[in-house]
This record gives sequence, structure tokens and C-alpha cells, in this order.
Amino acid sequence: MTSRHFLVIVGLVQALLLASLIVLIILNRWFRLRRRARVHPRRVALDAVMQRWALGQADVGMVLLRLARLPVSLAVDALVSWSARVPGDRWRRLAAELAHQWWTRLVRANCSSARWWKRLEAARFLSIAAVPADAARVLKLLRDPHPAVHIAAVATLERLESAALATVALDRLPQLAATVGAYYAGMLRRSRPVVVQLLLKRLARRDEPALARLTEFAARLQEPALREQLTALALHGDPEVRTQAVRALGTFPHGDSIAMLTRTAADAQWAVRAQAVRSLGMLADAVTLPLVRDALRDPEWWVRLRAGLALTRFGPAGRNALLEADVGGDRNARDMAHMILGFSSQALAEFAA
Amino acid sequence: MTTLVHGTDLVILVYFLALNSFYALLLVLSIPEIWEQTRLAEDDDFQRLMQSDALPPITIIVPAHNEEATIETSVTAILTLEYRNYEVVVVNDGSQDQTLEALRHAFDLYEIPRTYPEAVPTQPLRAVFRSRTRTRLLVLDKENGGKADSLNAGINASRFPLVIAVDADTLIEPDALLRLTRPFLLGRQIAAVGGTVRVANGCPVEHGRVTDARVPRRFLPGVQVAEYLRAFLFGRLGWNRLGGNLIISGAFGLFRKDHLLAVGGYRTTSIVEDLDLVVRLHRYLLRRGVPYEISFIPDPVAWTEVPETSAVLARQRERWHRGLIAAMWEYKSMLFNPRYGRVGLIAVPFYTFGEMLAPLIEVLGYVVTIAGAAAGVVSLSFALLFLLVAWGYGMLLSLWAVVLEEVSFRRYRRPADLVRLVLFAMLENFGYRQRTVWWRLRAFFTVWRQRRVWGEMTRKGFEAVGSRAPG
Repeated sequence: MTSRHFLVIVGLVQALLLASLIVLIILNRWFRLRRRARVHPRRVALDAVMQRWALGQADVGMVLLRLARLPVSLAVDALVSWSARVPGDRWRRLAAELAHQWWTRLVRANCSSARWWKRLEAARFLSIAAVPADAARVLKLLRDPHPAVHIAAVATLERLESAALATVALDRLPQLAATVGAYYAGMLRRSRPVVVQLLLKRLARRDEPALARLTEFAARLQEPALREQLTALALHGDPEVRTQAVRALGTFPHGDSIAMLTRTAADAQWAVRAQAVRSLGMLADAVTLPLVRDALRDPEWWVRLRAGLALTRFGPAGRNALLEADVGGDRNARDMAHMILGFSSQALAEFAA
Repeated sequence: MTTLVHGTDLVILVYFLALNSFYALLLVLSIPEIWEQTRLAEDDDFQRLMQSDALPPITIIVPAHNEEATIETSVTAILTLEYRNYEVVVVNDGSQDQTLEALRHAFDLYEIPRTYPEAVPTQPLRAVFRSRTRTRLLVLDKENGGKADSLNAGINASRFPLVIAVDADTLIEPDALLRLTRPFLLGRQIAAVGGTVRVANGCPVEHGRVTDARVPRRFLPGVQVAEYLRAFLFGRLGWNRLGGNLIISGAFGLFRKDHLLAVGGYRTTSIVEDLDLVVRLHRYLLRRGVPYEISFIPDPVAWTEVPETSAVLARQRERWHRGLIAAMWEYKSMLFNPRYGRVGLIAVPFYTFGEMLAPLIEVLGYVVTIAGAAAGVVSLSFALLFLLVAWGYGMLLSLWAVVLEEVSFRRYRRPADLVRLVLFAMLENFGYRQRTVWWRLRAFFTVWRQRRVWGEMTRKGFEAVGSRAPG
């Protein structure tokens, strides 16, 4: 075979492939249009029945019938979109009924599928239709290596209260990237009583490797039951733990909190000092005003910024402190006070956020 | 003479085979990647995510230089994106037209003092403005320093850990930010992530939003639709799997601010700042052993106006290629350097030999073949057959990009648009590609003469684009 023959063969194969690709494009378009024409009316019918059922005007059997007529992936999509619009008790009844449907057994079986998208479908379904008997399945999905799967599974905590699930999610929380951790934290907040009990135990262990992340999460809960633990953690050896604990104390207007914040406002780490001053501003106790005013002279810019912003929360007394600093002898305090006094109320609100 | 021609032909043949085999590899790798990305895009429960506080806050930086025609529409569209926590920093880069006045008038700006340190040095700031009507908006007015300088000024002013650079002439889809943060939500260690840039020419635009995806009827913008699809849908998706995306589009790319600050922000002296930045990020993170990903995800979409005339397109392509040459020269120490892993061993060599040198080799091939045919040492019919096969391969790649679009996102819903897209994908190799080769070749001459001529993009404004849209 000569090189010319070879090129001719390559050219012919290319022509064949080109033709095949064009046919593929046409067939794909045709198939999708046909599928849509077949499935779309069923989805519309389901939405209509769902609406009537949500208003108490239709039987749950009708909903189940319409769901069964849809392809499984579309049925799960429809359930996910409707789950946010139907009140809790009614939805729980539907979830209980769905547990006996043949197609939901298939979806549940996908929890053990080798294909991650099948597990994802199962996780999404269980996140809105899990019943207590599904706890073991959800536990498995929560430990799934694919992030999309365990992130979908953790949403189950919104609807299913389970100490086992909350424990696994809380165990996983410190290992997650910040963004995913925040999502987990949002879900864990729905199981507050269980989570608070777990946190009380975990925060008491001073050698807990994930203490900083757990403290951060505990701070977000703003749970009075955790206040004593958080106050104690404000003196922990790890500056990150101290920072998170001090941030949490700003949400507890209590004498112990103020005493601890007064102490940590002199911490060797500027991040802790900045957070302590910020928290003192949130509590705005008049006794701490001189301390916050003094923080305007801190060597670290961020501490001074936090002090300046904190003073705006002390009302007229804080504003007077800023005005005094604006004409005072300390250059750092003067510059910061000048900047803070130049802020519009909108800018201050944004900084406070 | 015969030995020289045959030797050169052999080198070109080997180059052709190696390059096209690599393209075939990218093509194969793009299949599982688009499969996974499409699944994730379809399965995401965006409502749930939007209600959660997990979404990372984002600063959108919009550099604007003489963008009077589009600035209000663009900024308004950006301010109404579906995202919970973001701010918009518009940087007026010493515009000589009424860009700042247009912003002042549209958003009721008032001056505020500067309240942040200058982490990256930039041209002097003239003023900082906030808006009375849009709390998310911050406008910086600064001396002219170029796009990179404006982006650096925006980075300095940004409050949030993620920053996205968006060209003022770029229209972002409402849910694009939400989609763009998906890799962060999936817990991946993302240093930068880019979305798809599509061609807005010919699409109707209302209130800064593309309301309907169309393929332009005119050849030049139409063929760029196919070109962009190929570049994004199979090129960059394939590179995701190879771990070495070297380009995150400057028109639409999300970066971690701490990494940007660590590498000193955008380089004001670079010709194509986005390529330069991404290569520098790779170098910095690999040197320090920081685990990271620089990814492309196809479903977040931004629309941009592409050149409609050869003169403007020529300047744009020449500038892009000059930027590529400059970047490859600047970072030549990464070439085949195992210290930089797959980036040093695959990506940089590909961009150097497969992209940067491609126009030189292609033109050399044409010249040698024509000379050989004239001298009677190369069979003309064989040369034409070879050319046909080479063009056929190019058509296959372009058409494959259309297939990927059709099986995944299907933006072009009208059959007429699909037909046009297929036609443009096939016609791209006849004339258009050769012209781009010539424009890219000119970049070598310009670099050789040390000229630094920036191509100027003539903007018509999107409402004008929309009003010209067919039926």
C-alpha cells in the first residue's frame, strides 16, 4: 500500500465520520424533541395534581400515579422542586407513601450503585423523601467518596432527625473545605438539639484535633447552652480556637462573656484582639468603652479598624470617643477615627456585616 | 533540493500526526468530562444552594476603558445576578469618553474615602464612589494603566476571598456565578475556575441579558461561534482531565484572591494578562507544592461580542498570539521541566509547539510543498490529497464540538441555527483558518520588530446587536 492509498483511506474514513457526526446531531435533536413531546405533558399533569394535592383538593394516590408515569430522574427532579413548596406534615405523609412505590425501591437500591450519578440520584431522592428506615442508606451516602453525593445526602438532615446522621455529619464537618463545611453547618443547624449535645462532648475534649472548626461551628449556632464551654475555650492554647471562641462570645450578653472578652482584648495574637474588640462592640456594654477606645491605639491596623467600628455601636458615647481620638495626640488612633467618622451609615452597616 | 524538501515534508508530517493525535486525545478526554459536568449541572439543586449560607462571597471586577456604549447595561445586568453575596467593583481606567459620567448618572454615585491598603501597586486612584441606589456597587476612578492595572486596582478594593474578572462588554447569564462556584461547593481545592464564553453577535439582548441564543448569519462572527465552541467545549474540557488548563478566559474567570495576591496580581506588562496570570499561578502553586486545580466548567455562560470585520479580528488574533509568544518565552523554564508535573511536561510543550509554533510550521509546509511541486520533487496530487485530509481532520474536530454542544447544553434551539452552526463548523477550515494562520504569523514579525501595538476592539453596544438580530 502506498502513502497515497493510505491518505485516500484516511480521507474516506474522515468523510464517513463526518457524515456520521452529522447524522448523530440530527438523530440526537430528533430523539430529544420526541422525548420531550412525550414526557413534558406528563410533567405538566404531575404539576397540576401536585398543586391540587398541596391545597388539599386531590388524593395522594393521584400524585403517586402521576409520579410513576414519569422517568425516574424526572420524578426525582419534580419531587425536589415541589419539596420546598409543600408544608412539612403533608410532605412527610407523601414521603411515607412513596416508600412503598416500586420505582422508589429502585432509587433506594441505587445507594449501592457503582455509578456515582446513580448514587447522587438516590441521595437527592432521600434528601427530600427519606423515612426513618432509610437512616442506614443515608449514613452510607454521607460517607460516599464523591462530594456531590455526600453533599446531597447531608440535606436529609433538614427532614430526618437522627442522632446517628448528625454524628456522622459532624464528624465529617472539620475535614471539609470551608465552603462545603458551611453547607454542612447549615444543615446541621436543623438538628440543633442533637448537635448541641454532641458539641458539648466534643468541645470538652481539649485535645480534639478539629477543635477550631468545631468552635467555629458552635459559634454559628449562637446556642446559650454552649456559652460556658465557649467561654472556657477563649483561653485555649491554639490562637485559632481562641479567635473562634471570642467571636462566639459576642453573641452572649453575659457577665462572664464580658469578663473574658476584656481579658482577651489584651491577647498576644492580633487576630484574637481584633475579634475580642469586635465582640465587645456587639455587646456594647458601657463598662468596656474605655477598653475599646484604647484599642484604637493598637499597633495592628485591623485591631484599630475593629475598635473604630465597635465604638460606633456604643451610641453617642462611642461617637464622642471617636471625635476625641480624631483630634487626639495618637496618630494611629487619629487616622482610624477620621476614617470611621467619614463612613456613611451604609458603609458602616456593610462593615458590620 | 529533493532531500531538503522531503526532509522538511517528513518533519511536517510527523508534526501533523503528533499534533492531531494530541487533539484526538483531547477529544476522547472531553467525553467523560462533559458527561460528568452535564450530570452535575443538571442535578444541582440550585434553589437549595441559594438558600444556604455556604456560597462563598465573590467580588466581581469590571475594568472599563471607553465603554460608554455598554457600561450601564453591563453593570445593571451584573448587579441583578442570582447570587446571594457579591459585590461589584467597576474600575474606570482613565476613560476619555463619558464612561464615568454614564455610571454616575445611572447609579447615583457619591464619593467616599479609600478604606483599604494597596496590596498590589497600581496607577494612582482619582476617586472611589459608592452608589446610593445599588449597595453592592463600588466604582474606582483611576489613571489609565491598562486592563491588568485596572484588575489589580479592583483586587485591592475587593473585600471577598474570590474575585472574578468580567469584561465590561461581557454579558453574564443570571445563574452563571452560582454555577461557577460549584467546584468550590464540591470541596475541590480550586485556585481558579473558568466558564464558557459564547458569541453574542446576532443574539437578541434585553436589559443586558441574551434572551435567545442565535448563530449569526454573517460568515465572520458565525464561524467564530464554531471556533469558540471548539476551544471551550472540547479543548478546555480535555485539558481538565490532563490537569493543565493554561487559559482561564480573562472575560469570565473566577480566582482565589489570596493566590492572586501571592503572585502579585496581574502583570501590567503582559500582552495577554489572563494567560500570563494562569501560567504564573501554576508555577507558583507547583513550586510550593500547594494542592490545587485550575478548572474549566462548561455550564456557566458569559456572552461576548466578537469582531465582525477582518481588520479588527486580525488585530485581536495577532495580539493573542503575541501574548502567547511572550508568555511561552517568559516561562520557558517550565518547558519539559518535571518539577512542574503535567503542566511542565504536557501543557507548556503543547502550547509552545502545538499552538505557538503552529502557524510557522503550517506556512512552512505550504511554502515547501508549493516549491517542491514547482520543482517537480513533490507530487501535486499527493500534496492536495494531504491538504484535504488535514482540512477534513479540522472539520471533524469542529463538528465534534457541535456534537458536544448538542448532547449537553443545546443552546441553539432553532433548526436553522443548528444548520448554520454545522455549516460554519465545516467551512471554518476553508479560508478562515488560513487567514488566522496569517494573522498569527504576523505576530512573530511584530514580536521580532519589538513592536507593542495593542489591537483596539470596536464595540457597537449590545442593544445594537440585539436590534440587528434576525426575526
